[in-house]
This record gives sequence, C-alpha cells and structure tokens, in this order.
Amino acid sequence: MGKSKQIGNHNSDKKKNISKKWKTKRRTKDLDQIHSDMKPETAARLLRQEVDYDVTGCAQHYCLHCARYFVDMRSLKEHFRTKLHKKRLKQLREEPYTQAEAERAAGMGSYIPPKTVEVQTQPIEEDMD
Amino acid sequence: MRIEKCYFCSGPVYPGHGVMFVRNDCKTFRFCKSKCHKNFKKKRNPRKTRWTKAFRKAAGKELTVDNSLEFEKRRNIPVKYKRELWDKTVEAMKKVEEIKVKRQAAFIMNRLKKGKQLEKAEAINEVKKNIHLIKAPHAGKAKQLEDKMVQRLQEDVEMGDEDN
Repeated sequence: MGKSKQIGNHNSDKKKNISKKWKTKRRTKDLDQIHSDMKPETAARLLRQEVDYDVTGCAQHYCLHCARYFVDMRSLKEHFRTKLHKKRLKQLREEPYTQAEAERAAGMGSYIPPKTVEVQTQPIEEDMD
Repeated sequence: MRIEKCYFCSGPVYPGHGVMFVRNDCKTFRFCKSKCHKNFKKKRNPRKTRWTKAFRKAAGKELTVDNSLEFEKRRNIPVKYKRELWDKTVEAMKKVEEIKVKRQAAFIMNRLKKGKQLEKAEAINEVKKNIHLIKAPHAGKAKQLEDKMVQRLQEDVEMGDEDN
C-alpha cells in the first residue's frame, strides 16, 4: 500500500475553485499595478492607511508586494517568511510586461531586454507594540 | 480604425475581432483570441509562455535587433491622402517585408547551425566512447595473445612437474 494521493493542504490553491479565481470580477492586482504601487509616494500611502473596519485587520497590516491585508503584525511577519511572498518578490524583480513590448515583439521596433528592479520586503514598523 | 496588436501573443487584432479588457484602473488590454484572454486571466507571463512572440524574442529564437524592424510604427499623425504617396508607401512596404523575411530566415538558419555543430561533436564523442562495440579492444592482437597463452601453459606445466 502506497501513500494515498494527496490533493493538497488547506494552504494550497488546488482545492479552491479556479474558475471563480480567474473571474475578472474578483481580479487581484497585476504585477504592473504592484510596480506602480511600489513608487515611494504610493507605497507610503498604502502602508499608512486609515482605519477601515471593512478591510482585514482594519487595513493596518498590508503587504505591498503581495497586495494583501493581514489581521495583525504577527501574521504579516509570518507571511514575509513564506514561499509565496518570496516568489512574488522574485517575480517583481523583472520590469513589468507592457503593450509596448507586445508591439515590439510583433515587429514594431527592435527588442529591448527588460531591466531588473531591486525589490525588498517592506521594512517592518516596530512602533505597533 | 487600425489593426491593433494582441497584448499576450502580439498577433494582429482586426476590427471586430477579439476582446478588449478594461481593468478597473482604465488600462486597456486587447486580445486576439479567447486563448490569449484566458491566459491573461490566469496571470501568465507572456515572456515565459513559449508560444508567444514575446517569448520567442526574449529567448533569442527570432531576429530581435534589425533596421528592417524599425519601419512599422504607431504613427499618430494623420496624413492627407495623396495617390502618389499611397502608391509609394505600398511599394516600400512590400520591399521592407521582403527584406525582413529574408533576414529573419537567415537568422534562424544561422541559429540552427549551432545545433548541427553540437550534434556532430556529440556523435564523435559517442563513437569514441563506444568504440569497443565496433572494434573489440584486442582485435588484431590475436598473435600476441596466443604467445602469452602458450607461455603461461608452459609455466603451468613446469610448475606441475616441480610439484610431482
């Protein structure tokens, strides 16, 4: 008897309804949107949001790169150590794909290799506790 | 009216074809077919998807930097119709296309040459490694072996004699 086929644990996306996930109705932020979020002024605004009772954790614990809200500082810190977050940082290291690049690939101009961007996890603010 | 390029695969999007997706930040994305739209919804990266033009360019599969690629452009300045200009433009387009196709074909042929070289080197290496299958290691050394055997037999016989 071998091990039974494991479909996934609660953390994996395998059990979630993918057709719902791919609906544009509940579309999560794209990488290029996150890139524009990472600009200092928007980043500052996103990281210091006003208390909003409709959002997870009252919008006080936001991961800029994964575009996610967390309940408290502890879970946010835990999230920084996950594979999901590290993978996202890696994805963000490359300049986002644009319509201009698509057009260049179609023969409207020469190819320009994408630049690499320095991306690091947002600094943790210790004033919370 | 213009022929747009697909965001995902860079294919042409003719008027009345494909889908346009408008994101909630007003950015528009055009897709030539549902395949491209679906892949976009799955958040795939066109640079990493092997069948897109973007991948082929990024991976160096196709001609990337060339002057013949600089003619086709998004020109947002309207030009008044002149029959002469029109004729000349169409002629030029044909010529540019011809040159472009020739250069792209040459590029791909050059790219494939590398593989041919590697294949040849690999074949030579394989023959060198497995030469014993074609030619036995002691082929042509039969005489030497026979002499050795005879010598050994003689030694054995001598040893046997001593024992007795």
